[in-house]
Amino acid sequence: MEYSGLILLGVFLLLLVLHVPISFSIGLATLVTMLLSIDFMPALTTLAQRMVDGLNSFALLAIPFFVLSGVIMGRGGIARRLIDFAMAYIGMLPGGLALVNVAACTLFGGISGSAVATTSAIGSFMIPEMEKKGYDRHFATAVTTASATTGMVIPPSNILIIFAIASGGVSISALFVAGYLPGILVSLALMTVCAIFAKTRGYPVIAALPISEVVKRTWSALPALVLIVLVMGGIISGIFTATEAGAIAVVYSLILAMGVYRQIGRQELSSVLLKTAEVTSIVMMLIAVSSAMSWILAYENIPEVITQVLLGISDNPIIILLIINLMLLFVGAFMDMTPAVLIFTPILLPVAESLGMTPLHFGIMLVMNLSIGLCSPPVGSVLFVGCSVGKTSIAKVIPPLLPLYAAMFFVLMIVTYVPGVSEWLPTMAGLYNQ
Amino acid sequence: MIPLLVWLDKALSRLLVMLVAAIVICVCWQVLSRYVTHTPSAYTEEIARFLLIWSGILGAAYAYRTGAHLGLDLLVNQFSTLWRRRIEMLVHILVLMFSLLVMVVGGICLMALAIDPGQYSSAMEINMAWVYAVLPLSGSLMAVYALAALFTPFEEDQ
Amino acid sequence: DAQDTPRIIRVGHTLDTSHSVHLALEHMAGQLADYSDGKMQIKLYPNGQLGSERAMVELLQIGSLSMTKVSAASLEGFVPQMKVFGVPYLFRSDQHRWQVLESSIGQDILNATRSARFTGMAYMDAGSRSFYMTQDPVNRPADVKGKKIRVMNSPMAVQLIDAMQGAATPLGWGELYAALQQGVVDGAENNPPSYYSSRHYEIAGYYTLNEHASIPDVIIASNHVLNSLSKQENEWLRRAMKDAVNKQRQLWNEAEQQALMKLARAGVSISRPDKTPFYQAVEPLHQQLSETNLGPLIKRIKAMRGEE
Ligand code: NA
Ligand code: NA
Repeated sequence: MEYSGLILLGVFLLLLVLHVPISFSIGLATLVTMLLSIDFMPALTTLAQRMVDGLNSFALLAIPFFVLSGVIMGRGGIARRLIDFAMAYIGMLPGGLALVNVAACTLFGGISGSAVATTSAIGSFMIPEMEKKGYDRHFATAVTTASATTGMVIPPSNILIIFAIASGGVSISALFVAGYLPGILVSLALMTVCAIFAKTRGYPVIAALPISEVVKRTWSALPALVLIVLVMGGIISGIFTATEAGAIAVVYSLILAMGVYRQIGRQELSSVLLKTAEVTSIVMMLIAVSSAMSWILAYENIPEVITQVLLGISDNPIIILLIINLMLLFVGAFMDMTPAVLIFTPILLPVAESLGMTPLHFGIMLVMNLSIGLCSPPVGSVLFVGCSVGKTSIAKVIPPLLPLYAAMFFVLMIVTYVPGVSEWLPTMAGLYNQ
Repeated sequence: MIPLLVWLDKALSRLLVMLVAAIVICVCWQVLSRYVTHTPSAYTEEIARFLLIWSGILGAAYAYRTGAHLGLDLLVNQFSTLWRRRIEMLVHILVLMFSLLVMVVGGICLMALAIDPGQYSSAMEINMAWVYAVLPLSGSLMAVYALAALFTPFEEDQ
Repeated sequence: DAQDTPRIIRVGHTLDTSHSVHLALEHMAGQLADYSDGKMQIKLYPNGQLGSERAMVELLQIGSLSMTKVSAASLEGFVPQMKVFGVPYLFRSDQHRWQVLESSIGQDILNATRSARFTGMAYMDAGSRSFYMTQDPVNRPADVKGKKIRVMNSPMAVQLIDAMQGAATPLGWGELYAALQQGVVDGAENNPPSYYSSRHYEIAGYYTLNEHASIPDVIIASNHVLNSLSKQENEWLRRAMKDAVNKQRQLWNEAEQQALMKLARAGVSISRPDKTPFYQAVEPLHQQLSETNLGPLIKRIKAMRGEE
């Protein structure tokens, strides 16, 4: 069927605007498309088979683990200790509190796989704190919102795992290691914007803390920092896989939250597990139906057609990559990250590969691009949570967000056109051979 | 109808808690067995994968019940309450269709193939129908929840 | 005009487009179009686009895919007889292996698939698997003792390593490069072309051609699809299949020779050990297996050794 791609897209968009949950929109659009070329019963059975097969992967197990450890740490008082730690080292710089906000979000991203969790964990303390010290509340909310997304490329990252699955076998360990440098670059770019902003607005500078206080705060944050090193070191050194790192993170954060910080009781445990099941299954259902969708895409050769169309626009890879990025920014404005990665990886990865891009490089670019969408209107889960935590409105947060978007886009362009930014670290660590 | 739903909700959440706990224990045991006893367990990898399939697909019914699945409400928010309600009914009917056709009917066909001629997993050599059984189970639960949502009077969900 | 639209045979596999199997299937597509005068066309889906080997077997049973190439190992869960190919050192030489595959034994095993709603069409060559190690070569079975060896997720593969007192570690093929690099495993095993194309030799540079397992690839077709073909169409398909099989065996031999040559040029230490101690090491395993359902089949295959 020549028009099957358009029918898939049409049905999907129609169901989407009718507020059918995205996973069911994908599933029903896939079913309709399958029925065009496959008989009724085989189509139903094939779709069912793709759903289960899409989840039949050991690598996916990392997702419930990082969700679970995130839920535990969200309730476990770890965010506050990371904030205090960052304050001790960069609080005295110009725009100090804004920088602390960025740094704390980045550090929290290093132990959590969810940007929404980071926004509420760091924002609920940092935004009121910044307002108290004379910062504009909307600016404070914008800073938290933008910097919470750095955790998407900084491991642990559920979205990188989802990309690895969708791409058909990029090493998760390599992707995890590849994300550090781009994540830190975004963090630094955001800090630069914050410092300039704070200087021009004349925000107050706080005095440096005495050395004894610095030591005390470092000591108190140490258990949380150990988890960052545990996840990173475990994967780089190969002591365990990403999935096993997730299991370790769960056990470690449980010990931390129940034993050391004593902020989760035993009776709370089952509610933590149920929350994990719920959050995980939303992602799993998306992965299941997307696996059916990418199957019918391949069956109808749709990615091939799209590649030819895109390559027909221009023979300049720089321009095609720019078009892809602009297209993804548009997609990210409207769609959540997980479905966007699941839908666009099978379509755009072949294009990127025909331009000589490696799947690893493409994955980091894709996730960084869609990170901007997480904090952009009209649909952005991090933006929504940020506004609710910061008790402000989207319209008020947009002006201070604009220079932060610019910083994120600037780093995105570097990542897009300089493969080394994403490929150098994993190659050095021996995790990646292209 | 209502007592049945309450019982179902409770049973489903208990089962999900047990599944997630089992996954954690299973993978932790795998790491331990590899580094402590030096004899890697070939079974835990497979058990963990199958448990994930179960918790993921069964959890999808739970997430549907709690309204947690992601969706795009930009357009419907512009409509009047009456039209919003009508569209919402349509959404539940579409979910009902998907769960019955794909998950229940498709899932049962898949189970039937695994039973006869038969298909067994590679490590534990259990029949794959046990794995596929989660599809019709979760699909039936979704169908029940969809019907419940369809027959809930309008006042109650505001 | 329904008669003018060509019948499309959809064939999926998990290998890349430079692999001998893919090239042979392309050859088959050409032959089939020739024989049928364009009435039958093959559409190829390489690189696992339509799923893993096991998933594609299910798609044949369901009827949404026509044909696929799978390792006999992937069929173990569907057709218990296929397990026999995993038995280490079942075949004593390449001649012995092909003699068995082309005999009534090979045909019986192919026929056993039919009740599983798909039909074994032909065997393709996947060579023999041998050990490669990061630190020291495996010259004797004792060299495997205490070493962590990556194996496929199959009980027989684990039993082989157990028989040599190594630690079998089932691991995904995609994660193996990093696992070798980081010392998660000390070695792995595969045929020369896979060892070369995966670039595992960059880290694990000791290759011993001990050839412990020769698990063939199998081409299978959906019964739904075969039953829908006319007698004439079936015959065209079989003829094209035969051409593809001959082509693949020749291409495989070339690929194997080339891989070994390139490996040697890359500085890999390649050795051909005396296989006798390896035969002895797996003898208890053979004893044990002869008491299972596979016993009679193993006996028939071994009986053919004398006829070389
Ligand atoms: Na993260
Ligand atoms: Na957005």
